Amino acid sequence: MNKKRDRLEIIHDILHSIRDKAGLVRQTHILYKSNLSHQMLVEYVGELMEKEFIIEKEDKKGKKHYELTDKGHNYLNDYKVIRGFVDSYGLN
Amino acid sequence: MSLTYLAPSWFFGYDVALELLFAVIALMVSIFAFKMYKATNQKQIKLFGISFAFISISYFIQSIFNYLIITKANENVCRAFKIQSIAWFDAVGLYAHILFMTVGLAILAYMTFKTEKTRILWLMMATSLLGIFLSINTLYMFFLFSTIYLVLLSWHFITNYLQNKQKKTLLIAVAFLFMLFGSVHFLVAVNHQLFYAIGHVLELVAYLLIFLNFYLVRKK
Repeated sequence: MNKKRDRLEIIHDILHSIRDKAGLVRQTHILYKSNLSHQMLVEYVGELMEKEFIIEKEDKKGKKHYELTDKGHNYLNDYKVIRGFVDSYGLN
Repeated sequence: MSLTYLAPSWFFGYDVALELLFAVIALMVSIFAFKMYKATNQKQIKLFGISFAFISISYFIQSIFNYLIITKANENVCRAFKIQSIAWFDAVGLYAHILFMTVGLAILAYMTFKTEKTRILWLMMATSLLGIFLSINTLYMFFLFSTIYLVLLSWHFITNYLQNKQKKTLLIAVAFLFMLFGSVHFLVAVNHQLFYAIGHVLELVAYLLIFLNFYLVRKK
């Protein structure tokens, strides 16, 4: 049985799903890739925007897209180090 | 009273160097934790960074004041700043060390509770600081409270290892066990000088393990 994902891992999965699509995706794609309920996803996306990991953009048709910021990219690049540090001290 | 009075004479100087080393390692871990906090915005990591910053300051103070006492430079400092009592000056160093170390350990222990209730942290700090500073034997109470906090911390890190069996988690669990054994030796050192030196050696092992973990984590 898979271990329950913690916050760091969920954030990683969300950001990863955005990066996989060249850094610009719709919420439905993130929902599908991150395996979260809609309510949970809305909360996480709100938090990630507040922390400036992602930004929301609207296209000409008024549809919302999400894009990774530099901070979001850095999180993904440093994830292994962050994971190692957090796991070492049980900070999750 | 100063901590140097607990040390055997042959250990003078070694303790200063070791405390400086502990301060530097704790500072490195603290700075790294703040870097990780900047990347994640996780409250637990921020608390961890703050606690290690306090612990680092505490060791820096201990190292500087012990150095001043050993070299008798404390007399010159007192003369320069027109401080009447050298004993008072030494006591300031000791109390500052106790204050920062106790606050650091309390924050670290609070972090392991994973609670949002900051009142618990204030209660822990108030209880331990009042217990230490209102006691007749301040030093003994300080080592006692440190030991209690280190029991809690060792428990947390052992549990963390059992839940996540990796080399890195094992290093930290063993490091905190060594810190706990070291603290127990300091507790006994109030009556036996040799235990003060053994306590430092055990702490050295603990901080070397923390440093090894720090190296492994940073290695991509």
